[in-house]
Amino acid sequence: MTSRPRLATEKLNPVQGLAAVALFIVLALVFVTVQFGPSTGFSPDAHITASIGYALFNLAGADVASEGMLAAFEIIDVVLVAALVGAVLLARRENTEPATDGGQDVGKGGED
Amino acid sequence: MAVSMQYYLLLSAAIFCIGVFGVLSRRNALVFLMSVELMLNAANINLVAFSYHWGNLTGQVFSLFTMALAAAEVAVGIGIILVLYRNFKGVDVTDATTMRW
Repeated sequence: MTSRPRLATEKLNPVQGLAAVALFIVLALVFVTVQFGPSTGFSPDAHITASIGYALFNLAGADVASEGMLAAFEIIDVVLVAALVGAVLLARRENTEPATDGGQDVGKGGED
Repeated sequence: MAVSMQYYLLLSAAIFCIGVFGVLSRRNALVFLMSVELMLNAANINLVAFSYHWGNLTGQVFSLFTMALAAAEVAVGIGIILVLYRNFKGVDVTDATTMRW
């Protein structure tokens, strides 16, 4: 059985669509009524990408001000490794007798 | 030249609401993941837009971390979808009703 994403042809619940549209209307009403003033923007000769690199490693000398993000950088490293290990742990088969079934139903039942 | 902040926020709200609608209405787990990505990237648009608005790079750097978290979330999510397909021969999220089977 294939289960690729398909266009939703079944009857959709209109309440769900109305909920999403109502959320958008509420957000849009808030956004169009608030006053932001003119944007500061970045100066045309500032090196944005280099400044991002300086901010990632708490280094001085960036053109554009930013907070130092070294702690978050190291924490995201640990999180990515944990996610990688978790994904491998989830995807690994317990019984290794069939190398792969090609995604087909091999008729062995799914009760394991 | 400069686009007003309201348009960035409206685009972000629209993308977020599309993601909410996808999560509410669809039953395919892969479409679920895509909808969650839409919502995360709507937040990224806000971060980058306000970074430009205030002339401060913190928002842009933080959106990089949001993307890394989204990548980690997708890795775990696709692992869960693999297990779901193995056990139920499909990726319909309404099939799995219990934590263990």
